[in-house]
Amino acid sequence: MPGEPVLDARGLIKDYRRTRAVDGIDVVVGAGERVALLGPNGAGKTTTLLMILGVVQPDQGSISICGIDLARDRSRAAECVGFAAGYLPLTERMRVRECLRLYGQLYGLADPGPRIDEGLERFRISHLADAMGTELSSGQRTLIGIVRSTLHRPRLLVLDEPTASLDPDVALRVRTGLVEIAANEGTALLMTSHDMTDVEHVCERVLFLSAGRIVADGTPASIAAAYGHGNLEGVFLHLADDRSSTASQQSDHP
Amino acid sequence: MTVAAELSQRGRSWLRIRAIARRHAYVLARSPHRLFDVTLWPLVDVVLFGSLAAFVGTTSATGTEKVSGYLLAGIVLWHVIYQSQIAMSTGFLEETWTRNLLNMMVTPVREVEYVAGVAMFGMIKLVMGVGVMVIGALAFFSFHVWSLGFGLIPIAVTLLIVGWAISLFVIGLVLRFGTGAEALAWGVMFVLLPLSGVFYPTAALPTVMQPLALALPTTHAFSALRGLVDHHGLNWSQVTIAGAGSVAMMVLAAWFLVRMLTTFRKRGYITRYT
Repeated sequence: MPGEPVLDARGLIKDYRRTRAVDGIDVVVGAGERVALLGPNGAGKTTTLLMILGVVQPDQGSISICGIDLARDRSRAAECVGFAAGYLPLTERMRVRECLRLYGQLYGLADPGPRIDEGLERFRISHLADAMGTELSSGQRTLIGIVRSTLHRPRLLVLDEPTASLDPDVALRVRTGLVEIAANEGTALLMTSHDMTDVEHVCERVLFLSAGRIVADGTPASIAAAYGHGNLEGVFLHLADDRSSTASQQSDHP
Repeated sequence: MTVAAELSQRGRSWLRIRAIARRHAYVLARSPHRLFDVTLWPLVDVVLFGSLAAFVGTTSATGTEKVSGYLLAGIVLWHVIYQSQIAMSTGFLEETWTRNLLNMMVTPVREVEYVAGVAMFGMIKLVMGVGVMVIGALAFFSFHVWSLGFGLIPIAVTLLIVGWAISLFVIGLVLRFGTGAEALAWGVMFVLLPLSGVFYPTAALPTVMQPLALALPTTHAFSALRGLVDHHGLNWSQVTIAGAGSVAMMVLAAWFLVRMLTTFRKRGYITRYT
């Protein structure tokens, strides 16, 4: 793992009533590292991300971001993190530039103007600066969301399904932009995706989650090889199949 | 380290508070229907209660001036609670209505900074709403609220604190029970209005309700207000009870909000808003 960890989450456990969503996982991400958190629906990916973002409190375990204990000082830890998700809306009743200015200031930038211009330019969407959020397509909103989450040059960028429902052209722009951000600014990426193309292009390390546990940790190629498949999609289907078989056996033998 | 380190901790905090206040200014400016809360409805209340005072005053021994004082001063000061409460509650509810809560919660904004930012812009709405009423009362009924003197200030401050405390309770309930609880943002005011004796002494309430009314800080604030209307000067004992009660209410509301926020994080209720 390159450099000191920007994210050091240990022994995370989260129960929702009688369901264990996350079952004692460690997620450690080094500076500039690009990590994917994969797994079928209900594997615990989003819960893990929400715990790392400080929005959901783990029942057990500790999370340290840039050496700051999240439970003790969420605000300071959050200054090191950016978050974008395909399902997140843009803040309503604001123009794109106003919205980006708001979030830049929330992250402590007294004058976010130059960073806004730079971010919009990176994703070739400068022409959208004066548009209202409601006038944008879902792809454009996703791109603006990524610009918003990187204005403060976070040490860790967390992405939940960043290319969900995007056309191939916009998805490519997202992938290229993310790799560029990680390379130029040393930002570590932690992302979930159901698109294995995204993962293979962007991430150098993969954590596979199943039923709240990490079942594989390695490079995309090494994991595919370990499971006897040519690519990550095969591994994904293999694990999803295992999980449904286990669930079926459990329902047969209560 | 990120660029946020360029500003001091206090500087970042102030920047965030102003950013939140400005965000809500955009909401008001770009939602014309929201302007009704601070322009039309306050004016409607002035016309309603001013006209009522004019009618009752001509047929009662109390006289128009005194009835106008009770009703118009009462409704203007009532709007201090109403505007401060609604501004804060709807400020937060705006985040839930527009599914923006997660966007806000992942930022470094502390809860106290968020509340301060919404309250800061809420003060502007309060000044607008109450300003419209003061002008309306003067223009339509020749009633000058400021003729009651500086005693209005401690009374208004007490009512402002009560308004904020109620909004913190409402926000706590919405965090815990979801947006269904938002009806309380408006409903609670309809309960508080008659019980607080905004337009009459609590002796006019049904006997069974009087102990409950006396437990409310707002009752003592409006009692002090009637003292001003009656030219008896400011009743400091009533203001002190109202002030202490409103501070106690605020402390309780803040404690409740923190508890509800902890529950919100423990149970992962954010998924209701994504």
